[in-house]
Amino acid sequence: MRQLSLVKSLAHLKEEQKFSEEVLLESIGLSLTRGTVAEIVGASSSGRTSIVLSLLSKLTQTGEVCAVVDSANSFDPRSAVLAGVVLENLLWVRCEGELENAFTAADHLVQAKGFGAIWLNLVGLSRQKLRMVPRTYWYRYRNRIKETPTMFVVTAEDAVAGSAAQESFGLERRAAAWSGIGRFKLLREMDVDWHSRKHFFGPPIGTKIEFDYSEV
Amino acid sequence: MPTRSKLFASIISPDVKRDEEILLSIAYGFAYRIELLTDGVLFDVSGLEKLVGSAEKVAQGILKKLQEQNVSGNIAVAASIDAALIMAREKAGLNHTAVTDEKFRQLHLSNLEIEGDTLGIFESLGISRVEELQQVPVDELVARYGQEFRNVIDLINQNAKRQLTSNVKEKNVSWSYEFDSPVDDFGQLIFILNRALEELLADISTRAMSTEQIDIRFKIEKKSEKSYEIKTSFPTLDKSFWLKLLNLRISVDPPQAEIVSLQVTAHFTKPRPTQTGLYAGSKPQPESLLLTVGKIKKLVKEENVGVPVMLERRLEHPFALDADKLPEGRESKETKLIPPVIAFAYYDPPIPAEIFVRNRQLIYLRTTEFAGRVLAYSGVWRSNSEWWGKSWRVHEWHVEVENAGIYRLQKKGGEWFVAGEFD
Repeated sequence: MRQLSLVKSLAHLKEEQKFSEEVLLESIGLSLTRGTVAEIVGASSSGRTSIVLSLLSKLTQTGEVCAVVDSANSFDPRSAVLAGVVLENLLWVRCEGELENAFTAADHLVQAKGFGAIWLNLVGLSRQKLRMVPRTYWYRYRNRIKETPTMFVVTAEDAVAGSAAQESFGLERRAAAWSGIGRFKLLREMDVDWHSRKHFFGPPIGTKIEFDYSEV
Repeated sequence: MPTRSKLFASIISPDVKRDEEILLSIAYGFAYRIELLTDGVLFDVSGLEKLVGSAEKVAQGILKKLQEQNVSGNIAVAASIDAALIMAREKAGLNHTAVTDEKFRQLHLSNLEIEGDTLGIFESLGISRVEELQQVPVDELVARYGQEFRNVIDLINQNAKRQLTSNVKEKNVSWSYEFDSPVDDFGQLIFILNRALEELLADISTRAMSTEQIDIRFKIEKKSEKSYEIKTSFPTLDKSFWLKLLNLRISVDPPQAEIVSLQVTAHFTKPRPTQTGLYAGSKPQPESLLLTVGKIKKLVKEENVGVPVMLERRLEHPFALDADKLPEGRESKETKLIPPVIAFAYYDPPIPAEIFVRNRQLIYLRTTEFAGRVLAYSGVWRSNSEWWGKSWRVHEWHVEVENAGIYRLQKKGGEWFVAGEFD
C-alpha cells in the first residue's frame, strides 16, 4: 500500500494532462502552453505583432477560433493574411483606445471558453493608464483559462501582467536588413532576439522576420 | 393486443382557397396531423374522446369554432377517413355530423364511387342504401362487377385502406400575453418571457424540430408596435440561451413606451446535428459565442465587433470589419507553415510628424512620441485610388529611425504623418 500511495491518482493524472499540450511555433523556436497567460513585451518594431500573428496563423488554419482585442485599433488584417491567418476564424474587437473596454471585452471572451487564443493587444495605450489596471484582472484571466485549451496572449511595451503571467517573453530588435541602394532600397527583414523572462534565463534566441511584399 | 380507436374529422368548405388559413388554424386547434384537401381539410382527432367526449361533442366543438370564425363548412367526425369524408361531402352548409354506424348504413349509394350503370342496376333491384348493399353476398358482387368492386365493399364495411397524409407543415408557433396594466420596464417582463420560451420550446421539441429565429412583438401604448427579429446562425432549444439573447438584444433598443401586450413567435427549423469531441479544433459553443459577441457589442458598439474581411479594392485600408459575421471555425484544406512576416500596426489616429530633408534625402524625424535620425528608408511609394469619389492620394516611405522603430511615413496634402509601425 505504501508503494501505491506513491502513484498519483488517475483523476489527478488526468487533470495534469488536460490541455497541457504546448503549441510550438517552429519557425521562431517558441512554444506557448495552453491554459496559461503569456506576455510578449518589447519596444517599437521588436516583432511582437509578427510573433502573435504566427501563433494565430497556426491555430486558425486548424479550425480553431481565436480573438483579437484590438485596444488601440492597430490591427491590420492584411498583415494577418500574409502571415497565414484564416480571417474567417478570427473575432476582431476594436476598442478605440478605451482601456476599460479592452479589459472588459477580454474578460467576456475568457468567460466564453473554447477560443484557441485570445490576444489582448495593449500596444499604443498610455503606459500610465496601464499601470493603474488592478492586478486582480490578470489573476482573474489566469484563473478563468486554467484547464481550458485557451492561450491568453498579451502584447505590450512593458511587462503588465506581473506574476499572473505564467510565461513572459522579452523581444528586442537587433537589426533591420535593407536591400538595394538609393531609390531602390527595400526593407527585407528584421533580426529579433527573444528571451524568456520567467523560469529560465538563458542567452537570447535570435530569429528572422521577413517582409512580404506580395499583394493580398 | 388492443388497438387504439381511431377518430377522424373532416371539414368540407365551399371555398377552400379563401378560408384555407382559418380552416387550418381550426384544425390545428384539434389535431397535429392534418391533410389539406382540394375541397376541405381532414384531421386526426383520435384520443380526443377522453378529453372532449363523444364524436358528437368533438363535431360540436369544431362547429362552434367555425361559427366563431364566421366560416361555412360541413363537418363529419367518423371512425374511418372515408366515412368522415363521404358524410361531410354529402351535406352542404354550416352543419355537423357525428357518423355513427347507423347513420352510415342509411347513407344513399349515390354518395359512393359507384359507376352510373351499376348504380342504376342496384336501384332497379331496390338497393339504394348502404345497409341494403351490405345484405348482398360479397362473392356475388365481386363475381358480377369484378375485383375493383372490392373497394366499394371495403368502403361500406369501413375497412378502407386510405391513410391520412399530413401535407401541412407549420412554420412557427406563437405565444401571446396581454397585461392587466401597462408595464413600463422591460426588465419586469423577463419572467413572462421565460414562461413563453418554456412553452414554445417544449412545443417545438415535441415536433422533433428546433428554432433559430424568435420574433417578439410588443404592443405599446398609443396603439403602436415594436418588434424584434432575433436570429442565430444555428438552431437551438436552449431556453437560458434564448432568454439571455432576447434580454441582450431588447435592452440595446428597448420599447420607448409602456408595454400593453407581447407576442412571441418561434420559427421552426431542422435540429442541429451535433458532433463533439475527437479531432475538433478548439472553438466556443455557438450559443456562448453569440452571447459573448452580444455583450461585447453592447460595450464597444455594434460596428466594432465581427470578423475581418479583405476588400478586393485598391484602398488605403483594404479591409473591413463585418459586424454581421461570426467566426466559423472552418479548417483549411491544407495547413501551410509560413515563416513569420513583418506585420504592420496602425496608429489610430496617425501621428503628425516633422521631417527634415537634405539633398532630397530624409534626415531626421520628429513626432510627439519619438524623434531620431533616419538610418534607412525606402520609397517613395505613391498610391492613389477612387478619383471619381472621395479620392485619396498618398506618398509613403518606410523609415527606420535611430533608437526608435521602423515606421510608415506618409505625406498627405503637404502634411506629414506616421501611419503606423512595422512590428
